[in-house]
Amino acid sequence: MSRTCGPPSRCFQGIIPSILGTVSPDGTPNVTYLSHVHSIDEERVALSCQFFNKTKENVLRNPAATVIVYDPVTFEAYRLELEYEREEVSGPLFDSIAMRIRAIATHIGMSDVFRLRSADVYRVLRCEHLARYIDVPEQVELDDPGGPRSELRGLQLISQRVNNASSLEVLLSGVLESLEVAFGFQYAMVLLATARGLEVAAVRGYAALCLGAEVKVGEGLIGVVAQERRALRISGVENDLRYGRAVRSAIEQQRGLGLGCPELPSPGLPDAQSQMALPLVVGDQLLGVIAVESKQRLAFDEWDETFLEIVSNQVALALARVLPERAATETDAAEERPTLRFRFIAHDDCVFLDDQYLVRNVPGRILWKLLTIVRDTGRTEFSNRELRLDPSLGLPAVRDNLESRLALLRKRLEQRCPSIRLPTSARGHFRVEIDGAFELSEGESLER
Amino acid sequence: MPVALPEDLVEFLESGVSIIIATRDARLRPEVLRGLGAQVAPDRRSVDVFVNAELSQRLLSDIADNARIAVAFSRIHDHRTVQLKGVVLDVSDVSREQSVELERYRVAFAEQVAMAGLPRSVTRRMRIEPAKALRVQFDQGFNQTPGPGAGGPMEQP
Repeated sequence: MSRTCGPPSRCFQGIIPSILGTVSPDGTPNVTYLSHVHSIDEERVALSCQFFNKTKENVLRNPAATVIVYDPVTFEAYRLELEYEREEVSGPLFDSIAMRIRAIATHIGMSDVFRLRSADVYRVLRCEHLARYIDVPEQVELDDPGGPRSELRGLQLISQRVNNASSLEVLLSGVLESLEVAFGFQYAMVLLATARGLEVAAVRGYAALCLGAEVKVGEGLIGVVAQERRALRISGVENDLRYGRAVRSAIEQQRGLGLGCPELPSPGLPDAQSQMALPLVVGDQLLGVIAVESKQRLAFDEWDETFLEIVSNQVALALARVLPERAATETDAAEERPTLRFRFIAHDDCVFLDDQYLVRNVPGRILWKLLTIVRDTGRTEFSNRELRLDPSLGLPAVRDNLESRLALLRKRLEQRCPSIRLPTSARGHFRVEIDGAFELSEGESLER
Repeated sequence: MPVALPEDLVEFLESGVSIIIATRDARLRPEVLRGLGAQVAPDRRSVDVFVNAELSQRLLSDIADNARIAVAFSRIHDHRTVQLKGVVLDVSDVSREQSVELERYRVAFAEQVAMAGLPRSVTRRMRIEPAKALRVQFDQGFNQTPGPGAGGPMEQP
């Protein structure tokens, strides 16, 4: 039998928790909340199973279930009689539910325990609108996307901006501006793929402070979208986060300690209720992610997702066009840079750069050691400990003041040789960054 | 003789928490419905749970058949949830005093869901009349706060 009463699709967005009843073989009823009932088609729904619980135990032995879902706009209730069919532990249905759960779980630092075990598929036997549950006002305001004509005009506007963009900056700001003007996406950002993950490259509606914020692939909504290369839309974000935090605190109580991994700080609105992120992909290459947010609980629907997918495809193609140019420009700049020529004068214990005095004594010897290792081995990561243990640097055995000598070296480089930097990479570790090529030579004087 | 519910649990059950109910028919098919408040008896050995009379035909027919019932009480802001299971001793129309309790529940529940972002104006539209009172005696209690410990028995109902 089909769902002839037809709960609107928005009932299946997980905004208001549903009520699910099952019965054990000995006749004991069980009732529980469900954060999300997923609609598969007219005749089937899927429920997520994160923990093996009483519900699952019951339906494996008695497949009968009844669920009430709510309309998040009118708050009307719909009752569905279900019959458990099977569980799926892989495949597109499983992946799409798992992705949503992973986005929340990684955000609250719980990806190891809070994950989808199975997508449980139920057949809908009967559906009924519970007309007397709530008084429904005669007129309920539903968002009107504006009709096909305005959609087309909006698409045309974005298309034009994308095509005309001559640089990355113009492309990204143009797209975000048109998304707001033509479609009312007030909060939007584009993140670009970097060697370490994703970096916020353009924002609309957010403080410019978000620019440059980093997101790791696989963490949070944006990171999961980048990893899976699939769009993800979450409504009722706060409900999901509250549910996840309840699980987290239950586990922490059970173990009697904190989980250690804190919640992720994420760029964007602290009070977002709806989020949607789409990958920017060309061929098999991930170029970035476009993400939109809203403070409304039901801000984005299938239409918005489909529409943004079209936009994302266009932006991705344009990015592929603009990005190589940027990379090429950077490479050209690197090529134009003159080679840095360092010379170590042993009897004066000092380092010269292009015949100019740079630094002497311990900081000088540290710089020389680092540059020699970079040249000979290509290694750029160093620890303070290995410097302390190196007798050739001449550091005293106790109270060596290594940190202050490194600080002096950094300061000197900043003033006289900004092409070399020594940023801290972790506690007690630092990295050597060098723009362009360099040469090393040693001697008793500046004569070569 | 059923055991008395602990004092702190009584306070929780009557605090405007979300209430959901399941019963089952002779063929072991479940029925679910939202509760409209709960009032624990002075001796704490039974609880009156209120339901919308117009939506509870199936629920009442299940109760007439076998009286088995499960009721989950859930605090919205932190998901603290307990599920109590037992039997329905009696079904009656709500008294005038109980009508006051129903209205008090609707206000307290509206406060709880407002914290989750649902406007009070919506909760006010929830129909609470005509209502029935189910007198329930619980003999089992389970912790149902989401997480790996969910489903475990409480020390006493």
